[in-house]
Amino acid sequence: MTRPRATLLAALALISVALNGCGGLQAEDPGKVLRDAGAAMSKLKTVRATLTFTKGTVSFQGYVLTSATAAVRLPADSDTTYKVKYQDLLIGLEVVITGGHVYLRPPFAGFTEVTGKTAAEVPDLAKLFDAASGLPAMIPSGKKLTYIGTEKVADVDSHKIGATYSAVQIAKLLPQLTSTGEVAATIWVGGSDHLIRKALLSGPFGDGGTASTVEIDLSGFGATVAIASPTP
Amino acid sequence: MKEARSARGILLGLAGAGLFVAALDAYLVVTLLPAMLTDVGLTIERFEQATPIVTGFLCGYVIAMPLLGAYSDVRGRTLVYAVCVVVFAMGSAVTATAGSLPWLVAGRVLQGLGGGGLVPLTLALAADLYRDRARTFALGAVSGLQEAGSVFGPIYGATLASAVSSLGGWRFVFWLNVPLAALCAGGLLLAGRKNPALDKTASDQASTLDWKSAGLLGLGLGLLVVALYPDDPTHRATSGLFVPLGILSLLVLALYGWRQLRAVEPLIPRALLRSPRFAGVTVANVLIGAALMVALLDVPILGRLVFNLDQLASGLLLTQFLIGVPVGATLGGIVAGRIGERRTAVLGALLAAAAFIQMSTWQATELALRVGPIRSADLALAACGLGFGIVIAPLAATVLRLTREQHHGLASSLVVLARVLGMLIGLSALTAFGLFRFGQILGTPQLTEPDLRARLEHLDRLVAAAFLQEYREIFTIAAALCIVAALVIFSTVRREPALMANPSLPMGPL
Repeated sequence: MTRPRATLLAALALISVALNGCGGLQAEDPGKVLRDAGAAMSKLKTVRATLTFTKGTVSFQGYVLTSATAAVRLPADSDTTYKVKYQDLLIGLEVVITGGHVYLRPPFAGFTEVTGKTAAEVPDLAKLFDAASGLPAMIPSGKKLTYIGTEKVADVDSHKIGATYSAVQIAKLLPQLTSTGEVAATIWVGGSDHLIRKALLSGPFGDGGTASTVEIDLSGFGATVAIASPTP
Repeated sequence: MKEARSARGILLGLAGAGLFVAALDAYLVVTLLPAMLTDVGLTIERFEQATPIVTGFLCGYVIAMPLLGAYSDVRGRTLVYAVCVVVFAMGSAVTATAGSLPWLVAGRVLQGLGGGGLVPLTLALAADLYRDRARTFALGAVSGLQEAGSVFGPIYGATLASAVSSLGGWRFVFWLNVPLAALCAGGLLLAGRKNPALDKTASDQASTLDWKSAGLLGLGLGLLVVALYPDDPTHRATSGLFVPLGILSLLVLALYGWRQLRAVEPLIPRALLRSPRFAGVTVANVLIGAALMVALLDVPILGRLVFNLDQLASGLLLTQFLIGVPVGATLGGIVAGRIGERRTAVLGALLAAAAFIQMSTWQATELALRVGPIRSADLALAACGLGFGIVIAPLAATVLRLTREQHHGLASSLVVLARVLGMLIGLSALTAFGLFRFGQILGTPQLTEPDLRARLEHLDRLVAAAFLQEYREIFTIAAALCIVAALVIFSTVRREPALMANPSLPMGPL
């Protein structure tokens, strides 16, 4: 073997080792990845979620929603701050749902309980992670599954899967998220723990059925979450 | 001869245009802040986080100003000017593309560093290009451009952003700086080629860039701004680390002062430092700067949050104030010739104080109140601008009278520096005070309306009332600052023969 060829082979071997050393997830059946994800997500006790609306207009209580950040303690407690446009300013509305009661704290104000229609219109983000009706149940039932590739999300090697979900499935996830058609999803699932790290949903679920996109980032799996005490 | 005069005019015109654009950017954010904060996801209840968007620029401005005049003595005016303009343009691009608050602040600091450098450079360029009376006129014109840029910034920002709302609104305002900066820098470099004397380098004994001093000044001011930052306005007025950071800031600034005193070529010549009139004018300028900041920053915010005006209308609320400043400056020059600089400056400061006292009684319905066909708020704002205009010119003239002609550029720089320093400290301190008082006045309202919209409307009224009370108190403080400035001017600026007429005065290297 000539010296240059040996050097080339050594370099290729090094590159190969380096690539495998970087996590190098192998492609998997997308259906299996999503089933594993559903199973892993159903065991969660706590999680933090950030929803960012990047396209279209989605309203919360009549105000345009730009993002929502939630700390969830399953099965039914959550502390969510919705950022909504008020006139042309951005305000934060904090909603704590605990023990079946819904409390609202507008900016600069204290918590007060909301009831009736107003309470019913407040999305309960804990339901997003409900084992029977939330993401764990919905995720594996996606159609048109494709394995897109692998990507690092928050330093975790993840499978990137494409799928579509029907309007009915989306409505089951969160009743307030009404879609007039199929929703395309890109889902990033952790390679080792099978937890969903990120999801990008695009479809006609904006106000009046307009095309919208929401990015959901999940973190803090099993970590301690702080849920504000709404009672003085 | 005529050609040389026109070439000098082009050079100074280009440099002045760049300076004007940079000065506009100092406060144009005032009317754009709500839109900027919304775009980077900051909510109104964390309004204190917006402070660094303004203080970041001012910090950069204050750091660069004393540093780059001396540096251009060594490296040549046009080259250093071009570098400053490039830094300003880069800062504008970073601000225009910012998706989060840290990037927004980083962009603003860069803008300030580049823009701040343009002040001494343009003044030095004016001093290089002109002699005798023409030099005084050129320096006055450059100082006027700087002042005009900074006071017209808010209205320029609001008008432009509204006109180009479909092209990105506030982001377009910052993007526009890039071609403007390129035109100024490119033009100046080309024109400078025909005037190689501008890029002569000084001898080996000449000044070099004093990075250590610049670092100390920047660190000291930065620590002071952080110490005054209201990190938890519901519980305390300033940062939780106010005492240690404040002490550290004073130590660092004292070290900077000590270095300056020991330097072979200190920023401020020792003879000038010994002058009580210079000290008095500097203190007065710092106080006036802090009060001026109140008008420039708080009036548009008041318009937005209390009078429910939109972005453009809240910027336009400052129109009468902005008209008052140049009218006052002209008037100040005329009056000073008759009754002297001291009396004129004192009158100007007292007029601004009286206007602030009237503003401290404003009601939520103030814009509906009229004196004849004119809104009473406009009258107060016009008087306030007039007062500031009247006081600015005599203070600048007093410093010029203390220095020999060849140092007029430096003297003009020092006047601007003192005022920007006052604005920086005033903004930091008054924001801290204001947000703390806002929290105290508002308390924690319990809203019980069943409907969210009704709750928010109720809250809106409570917040507007609390903001109004907060701003009334800030206007009272601004009035007090103006009165103290008047007292300082009255007690330190004595009528003395001009230095130029009496060269035997012990002014040392000046």
